[in-house]
Amino acid sequence: MRLKIWHKMIIGIAIPSLIVVLGSLINYGYISDTENRQRYVLIADDLKEHVLEVRRNEKNFFHFKNADYLHNLQSEISTLATSVKHISPKAVEEIGKEEFALFNETLNAYANLLNDLYESYQQESQVVEEVRAEGRELETLVSQGKLSQEITTSFILHLRLLEKNYMLFRDKKSFNELNNRLKQIRNVTPFCYRCNPYIAAINNLFSTYNKSDALANKIQDTGNSLEVITGKIVVREREKIGVFFTKTKRLLVIALIILCTVGPLLVYKTASYIVAPIKRLAEITEKIAEGDLTQRAPLREHDETYSLSTSFNTMLDHLQLTHDSLEHSLQLLHQKQAQLVESEKRATLGLLVSGVAHELNNPLNNISLTAETMREGLEEFSREELDDYIKDILSQSERAHNIVENLLDFARARRSTIMEKQDIIRIVKESFHLVANQLRINNIKLEQHIPDIALFVKGNRSKLEQILVSIFTNAIQAMKTDGTLTVRVTQESENKNILIKIHDTGPGISENDIKNIFEPFFTTKPVGEGTGLGLSVSRSLVMEHKGELRVESTLDKGTTFIITLPPFEVTS
Amino acid sequence: MENNIRIMVVDDEPIVGKRLKQTLEKDGYVVEAFTDSLIATNEFEKNPFDIIITDLKMEKIDGMNILENVKRKNPDTKVIIITGVGKWLTATEAFEKGAFDFIIKPFKLDEIRDVVQRAVKDLST
Ligand SMILES: Nc1ncnc2c1ncn2[C@@H]1O[C@H](COP(=O)(O)OP(=O)(O)OP(=O)(O)O)[C@@H](O)[C@H]1O
Ligand SMILES: [Mg+2]
Repeated sequence: MRLKIWHKMIIGIAIPSLIVVLGSLINYGYISDTENRQRYVLIADDLKEHVLEVRRNEKNFFHFKNADYLHNLQSEISTLATSVKHISPKAVEEIGKEEFALFNETLNAYANLLNDLYESYQQESQVVEEVRAEGRELETLVSQGKLSQEITTSFILHLRLLEKNYMLFRDKKSFNELNNRLKQIRNVTPFCYRCNPYIAAINNLFSTYNKSDALANKIQDTGNSLEVITGKIVVREREKIGVFFTKTKRLLVIALIILCTVGPLLVYKTASYIVAPIKRLAEITEKIAEGDLTQRAPLREHDETYSLSTSFNTMLDHLQLTHDSLEHSLQLLHQKQAQLVESEKRATLGLLVSGVAHELNNPLNNISLTAETMREGLEEFSREELDDYIKDILSQSERAHNIVENLLDFARARRSTIMEKQDIIRIVKESFHLVANQLRINNIKLEQHIPDIALFVKGNRSKLEQILVSIFTNAIQAMKTDGTLTVRVTQESENKNILIKIHDTGPGISENDIKNIFEPFFTTKPVGEGTGLGLSVSRSLVMEHKGELRVESTLDKGTTFIITLPPFEVTS
Repeated sequence: MENNIRIMVVDDEPIVGKRLKQTLEKDGYVVEAFTDSLIATNEFEKNPFDIIITDLKMEKIDGMNILENVKRKNPDTKVIIITGVGKWLTATEAFEKGAFDFIIKPFKLDEIRDVVQRAVKDLST
């Protein structure tokens, strides 16, 4: 894929962000919707409030039945109607067009019915007047005795009482009682034509009352349906808000779930996608670090790592070229070194031979001189003089013998080339035995600071012993008598060099001499005592062990020789 | 004639001194032998010698220095140098500095006698 890391990162970040933004937007929409709905609820509540107000006035009107209350009611209705009219068409649309149509229709019907009822009420009062007039007429007729005897004054009075009751209560019971009384009149005097107007008036009252009541009932029904409609609207609007809230909640939960599952997955995917080529590079670098220069970075992604990989590969090409030529040079160097070592060996051998010749010269000269002197005057010598000559000859041949012996030692040590795992601690301890006699004779104390473990080096046992004994001997000879020889073996940590420090309390070495002590045949010892080979041989032996031989010395304080040896390596 | 000729032998090998002293004294010279070149130097600074036989390679003051010192103090003194094998370079240097002759170790007593006699002859002319 030709995607840059940059693009991968954008995608990785953009998708979760998009989810968040989308969810937020939808929620925002829901919330502003809900806000609108809240307004609709207010409108519905307001509507319901008005309707209830209308109904209160309706009751008053029913009770008092006069024009004032009718006006109150009507003005209330018109406020309701105008407030409905003022509701924005959008709100009407949202809340429910049909509901509003029905509401308006019902409200109209309600207003019309009211007018009818008012008319009917006006009619009622006319009829009531009529009834009362006819009643009074009937009373006068009875008192004048113009009606049949059966219809007495008390009867009429009772009738009028019933009439009043009916007008007051307008219920079934008082209607029945009044109606029965009228029927009685008919039964008693079927042809009482003077009674007829009253009866007719009462009947008129009946029908008017029925009409009014029917109207009132109808108005109440209509009022009820107004309440029902507004109630329904209120309930529905509230329900809608509830629905919005649950929807919003659900959406939030869904968005959260998506974000929590897809988000990390996406981020992980992107991250590993980005890191993969870098990781591959890192792995290859590691392999190269381990020495495999043939490794090359794969060129898969076309992102920023592509150019990195290509330059990495060219760098590796160069590196391999350099490495190869270096290896070649190294091989050459090894060859040359071997040659050098060989010629150096020959040179030292030559030096050694001429040195030995020089050294042997002196004792040989002494011997020949002494022998010659003896020959020249053999007869004249006394016994003591002869003894002296013979002693000289013997000591000088001993001296020559020592030189030859040392040289042989040196040659032997050089010849044995076996290098194997050796415990240097054991070798140090055992070399103490070799100088124990010298220590005792010279009354020198031996102080050991040697760890109680095994420390391994790769070395040759007799060569290591020769080094140690040579340095011990030097120290003993330097201290002469009454001193302390301190031997310390340390290793700072595993895989670090092992240090052997040999310290004496001798006179130290002068600055002038210290430059020369490692030279072959350099010695400050009296003629015949030292060949001057000890330290030069020791140094070359230590070097054969890939170690180092150093010296630190303070005049009148003492001298420390420090042998540094590399630890034994399993791989070597 | 050889009486009163004073010879100094300087060599850190005591046997060389001993043997030369014995031999040369027998031949009638006055001989003093030294193994310490410093003491020897002090000695010839105080009392001049006719002939000085010295080893070249020595502690403290070497033969070459003794040669220089002697020649500065008393150019007439004959200095004979003893040296180890093959030191031709130092030999020529010694001649340049006025050495009478040099003898290579190991040497025969006759060689010494011969050189000393030549030196004595040289002294008297
Ligand atoms: N521990 C020491 N203290 C003082 N001087 C020393 C010490 N070790 C060596 N030297 C000096 O270094 C010189 C060279 O020592 P090296 O061991 O090479 O020869 P050597 O001891 O003189 O002779 P050889 O070892 O052959 O008997 C010594 O003559 C001595 O002057
Ligand atoms: Mg030594």
